Amino acid sequence: MAEQNDILEEHISSEYKYGFSSDIETETAPPGLSEDIVRFISAKKNEPEWMLEYRLKAYRHWKTMEEPRYWAHLQYPEINFQNIIYYAAPKQKPELKDLSEVDPELLATFEKLGISLEEQKRLTGVQSNIAIDAVIDSVSVKTTFKEVLAEKGIVFCSFSEAVQEHPELIKKYMGSVVPYTDNFYAALNAAVFSDGSFCYIPKGVRCPMELSTYFRINTSGTGQFERTLIVADEHSYVSYLEGCTAPMRDENQLHAAVVEIVSHKNAEVKYSTVQNWYPGDKNGKGGIYNFVTKRGICLEENSKISWTQVETGSSITWKYPSVILKGDNSVGEFYSVAVTNNYQQADTGTKMTHIGKNTRSTIISKGISAGHSNNSYRGLVRINKGAKNARNFSQCDSLLMGPLCGAHTFPYIEIKDKSAVVEHEATTSKIGEDQIFYCKQRGIDTEKAIRLIVNGYCKEVFNQLPMEFAVEAQKLLAVSLEGSVG
Amino acid sequence: MIAAEKISSTGKLVSDFEEVKKTLPGNSFVQNIRQKAIESFAELGIPARKNEEYKYSNVQKLFADTVTLSVAEAPFSNISIQKYLIPNLDAHTVVLANGVFSEELSSLKNLDKSIVVSSLQNAFEKHPELIEKCFSKCADINSDAFIALNTAYAADGIFISVPDNILVEKPIHIINLIAAKESTLFFPRNLFVVGKNAQVQLVETFETHDLPVKAISDSVTEIAVDENAKVQYYRLQNDCENGQQINTVCASQQKNSHFDTNTVTLSGGWIRNNLNIALNGENCETHLNGLFITSDTQHVDNHTLVDHRKPHCESNQTYKGILDEKSTGIFNGKIFVQRDAQKTNAYQSSKNILLSDDATINTKPQLEIYADDVKCSHGSSTGKIDDDALFYLRARGLGIASARKLLLHAFVNDVMQTIRINALREYLETLIHKKLGE
Repeated sequence: MAEQNDILEEHISSEYKYGFSSDIETETAPPGLSEDIVRFISAKKNEPEWMLEYRLKAYRHWKTMEEPRYWAHLQYPEINFQNIIYYAAPKQKPELKDLSEVDPELLATFEKLGISLEEQKRLTGVQSNIAIDAVIDSVSVKTTFKEVLAEKGIVFCSFSEAVQEHPELIKKYMGSVVPYTDNFYAALNAAVFSDGSFCYIPKGVRCPMELSTYFRINTSGTGQFERTLIVADEHSYVSYLEGCTAPMRDENQLHAAVVEIVSHKNAEVKYSTVQNWYPGDKNGKGGIYNFVTKRGICLEENSKISWTQVETGSSITWKYPSVILKGDNSVGEFYSVAVTNNYQQADTGTKMTHIGKNTRSTIISKGISAGHSNNSYRGLVRINKGAKNARNFSQCDSLLMGPLCGAHTFPYIEIKDKSAVVEHEATTSKIGEDQIFYCKQRGIDTEKAIRLIVNGYCKEVFNQLPMEFAVEAQKLLAVSLEGSVG
Repeated sequence: MIAAEKISSTGKLVSDFEEVKKTLPGNSFVQNIRQKAIESFAELGIPARKNEEYKYSNVQKLFADTVTLSVAEAPFSNISIQKYLIPNLDAHTVVLANGVFSEELSSLKNLDKSIVVSSLQNAFEKHPELIEKCFSKCADINSDAFIALNTAYAADGIFISVPDNILVEKPIHIINLIAAKESTLFFPRNLFVVGKNAQVQLVETFETHDLPVKAISDSVTEIAVDENAKVQYYRLQNDCENGQQINTVCASQQKNSHFDTNTVTLSGGWIRNNLNIALNGENCETHLNGLFITSDTQHVDNHTLVDHRKPHCESNQTYKGILDEKSTGIFNGKIFVQRDAQKTNAYQSSKNILLSDDATINTKPQLEIYADDVKCSHGSSTGKIDDDALFYLRARGLGIASARKLLLHAFVNDVMQTIRINALREYLETLIHKKLGE
């Protein structure tokens, strides 16, 4: 340890020698992580003193932590945290004249997903007259949304903006659900988070739209250390959608995001994610490492948090959206579809911690593995002492496609109250030959039949998604599994 | 007492071995294994709570108190074993006193001459070929610290060999008795070798004879089940509250074999059961059933691992627990299906009832599957006594106490029904009746 400190010490001093921190105008920080880098990021974002203090505390704590490598069912080469660039100003993408310059494979995927031309251009960074129109158009759309939201008193802005404009809310809620001491990646995120979104729904307000619509236009370039905070005050409701069905060609290999949700009395938050980051090529080269900490707390009675996720991308997924059911009668839900193909690895699931009385939680997890991939469900249901009449139902199904993949289930169930009723069931199987035969008999070819069966298998989860996303998610599933059928 | 010194840590256990090993039985083959085992133990160490396999069972706390090592002592024999016999059970009786085979207390009359039931020490001398074939084969010294520790130190235990084509008509009843005046660590080691087409029923009971202080027993039992053989293995754990056990059973099955096991835990202070079954041939069938009824501050941890290595095998697990007062129950089951093990059929179920708000149950039923043409499922449920069922019975005139008792008996019934020796089942039923009645 002492030796390690020395090395770190050396690093810090040597970096300091080059004096990058005085050069505040630099757009990109040198690779590596030190207190100076943390200060640099904070200064770049013009953050107040308390924010910097928070980052530094997190950084100091992170230094004392060890990278969790062994408990998850994942295998990946060591990550050198001193080799990563922790701050880069939003990159100017190379300008493309029109869509014909874009990778045709990418376009073919867009086609299959049914993404509009305008959006395709925005996603690929094409600059043309039409695109400018589209941008203007989306700006106007953005402002109309903003007006509607402002009228209701809803705060929805980037995290950095919120730090400047709503420091009291950030101070009150940031780190209250996922403290920086929580885990290695949460600490890292707290120290170096780049940006993210902040959302506050005031008392008694029902957010009139899926925040997704807005978000999808506004999300680009948030970087690899995202931080999201959603606060739903008493009697409010919001449905929030993160991510995009379109494939994201992001060159950052490591993503460590943190999402915090606070749900007050009678409030409901519905959080849906579609994750389709670059999964690496057919031989498992490249791809994103996705280490995410997501947690919500039902702070007071009758509150509800619902997570829905469709995970198809990333070469490594390490993600456990959780709910702490603190208020009496609160409800937590987790619906997940995780698809792995080729050499992808996913270790995902949820944690439901029951503290309040009459709390309920539901877990539905569907894993699909194909190719050489490994797909694990890892979940915890914990009923604390005094959580009277807690109720949990968990169902984790795995579907195996091909003889070389793996599907695993690791549920942890800890119960300390006799009035609790907890049920867990899991199955693992392949697509029934009789089911395929039935479809083929009716003139549906094998590929389509499998698509049909897989979609049926995931229906319970897709039903939870906002409608237009459910449609895209279905198509995405088909694209992800393409060629996996032997 | 060979090592009278107090031991408390991994380091002490490793360094003591140098002295103790001179007195341990076995030829160079066995000594060689012992040496490797202690090296493995030195590396593994007494597992910390960070160790996923020992997450819910704090073994370091168990070893925090100083204990004396007991290796190859002469068994106590001036006692009556009458009260440890199972009423109406017509069986051959074998007694292990403090982990050492006691010929005097055992009764093996009328046992077929071809069947060997002896002490392990004796087998080291007389059956070196079987020892070399089966000893330390299915209990991997590198997989678990307590297998390693036992393999290094174990001096005695029971050796049973049933040759090919032999059917043992009467069950063999193994009685484990513990008596000690000071905190002691025991290492019983058993080896059962069942030949091709052979059949045997084994009943093992764990009792404490006289134990005013805490004792730890780190036992390992290896069972080699050959082609077409059928083995039924029943265990009843009925120690006093000072009895602390880390009990590992490793079975290895060959083609077409059939292995049934039943673990019933009624009393004992702190118990960890590891049950590892490797299916090494096609068409094997294995059934693992377990029942634990705990009270007071009992701690019962059941770990099972079924390793499907070959195609067309079937495994089935049912574990049930009833937990009262401040007791803790753990079920950690794992079904492992290797790439080759296509057409596997595996099922696992863990059901528990909590009777007290101070009781805790932790379950972790796991599936790890690498083959696609399989049917694997597990279920786990925990709850209280069904209020509707209780109401139904009370509406028919049953008092609340007897209604509860009836429902609890019904709950454990399907595990009880898997016990095929009538006398044993009846005996267990009376014990359960007593336990639930209090």
